[in-house]
Amino acid sequence: MHFSTHPIRLGIALFAAAILVFSTTLSHATVDDAHGFAMEAAMPFVEQGFIVREDYWNGEVKSAQKLMIKHQMFKGNEYAFWLGSANEGVKFELKVYDDKGKEISIDSKSSSMFASIRVNPPKTGTYTIVFSLTSKTEVGLYWALAYGYR
Amino acid sequence: MKRSSFHQAAILTVTAVLFSTPVLRAQATRSGVQQFDPLAFPGSVVDDVVVPVPSEVFSVLDKLGEPNWRQELRKLDLPKTADRTKLALMFGMVVAEGFVAVQAEDKDEVKDIGREVINLSTALGLIKSVRPHAQAILDAADKEDWRSIRKEFDQTQKTVRDTMEQMKDLDLSQCVSMGGWLRGTASVTSVVSKNFSADRAELLNQPMLVEHFIGTIGKMGSSMKEHAIVSDISKGLTGILAKMEGAVDGFTKDSVRDIGKTCDSLLSSIKAGK
Repeated sequence: MHFSTHPIRLGIALFAAAILVFSTTLSHATVDDAHGFAMEAAMPFVEQGFIVREDYWNGEVKSAQKLMIKHQMFKGNEYAFWLGSANEGVKFELKVYDDKGKEISIDSKSSSMFASIRVNPPKTGTYTIVFSLTSKTEVGLYWALAYGYR
Repeated sequence: MKRSSFHQAAILTVTAVLFSTPVLRAQATRSGVQQFDPLAFPGSVVDDVVVPVPSEVFSVLDKLGEPNWRQELRKLDLPKTADRTKLALMFGMVVAEGFVAVQAEDKDEVKDIGREVINLSTALGLIKSVRPHAQAILDAADKEDWRSIRKEFDQTQKTVRDTMEQMKDLDLSQCVSMGGWLRGTASVTSVVSKNFSADRAELLNQPMLVEHFIGTIGKMGSSMKEHAIVSDISKGLTGILAKMEGAVDGFTKDSVRDIGKTCDSLLSSIKAGK
């Protein structure tokens, strides 16, 4: 079977294929990149004795949509949460609430690629983490949320 | 013919692009592409539950006193089995035992557990992805680098669960978490029972995790759900949940002991030779 080698058509096909490969690679990279930035946020905490958990949450979210995660914490530990994004210029919101809906997170910090907060849980039990990422240019944003304790 | 070939190339390219989109979406969906529902405060829920490692609880117990962690170490004595459900539960259990050994700073025990991790991951067909972590555990044990060992046990468990999930063994992955939680909780109840206080006992207030495990079993395939040990775990967890929900004014010494007995009984079943 003969395959057409018309230069323009072949060029279009190769261009489309290149976009496919590039977009696939980029999309895979962004999920990991979000975690990479969360880990960058964790670095100063590790120096202060925090142990970083290997498990983390990640996904893709529309800009400005709020997400909620339930998480078990133990009184006596101090926790830090690190939210990373692969997209530049994102505005982060990251808070932790107790079972009464009272915010308990302290020491909130953020940069263009990540945000962090600390929590001293007043009781052992389930807490609610609420966060959002807002971008002026991107509709969908990759995120990763990791945590550590000491 | 040339036109047809161009069409084929174009169709192939378009098809590839179209196929790539669901793949990307699927990956994001598995991790959770979220649609915000403004009617539901405060937003959409990420269902994934991160189960704490035992050392998260152990570190609090250390702050509240000085438990004798060596007393909490248990002989592994695991049976040979080809039952993957049991192997997955045993894997989680062994990793949790590793966290106890780290707390006890028992180098030899850590190394024995590292070797057991290799045996179990070989039986599960996961040795390729686990070997680097197992080797790192053995190396760090020689240096008594407890912080690195803790990290490697956590990574080992994550690697095994991720690999199982890539192989579409989601139920087995959950069994790893359950085995680990049962062993960790058995240790906590044992430490708390030996030196009871309300602060220590409060560490057992984990109903969300227990509900998560019960819900997970409920969603398992029928063959897994009907597996004798999984069925026993479901019943045991239901009893544990009732104890946790009943501890409105705090856990009593008896309720701590009961939770411990249930965990120990389930762990014995997992380790039973059958």
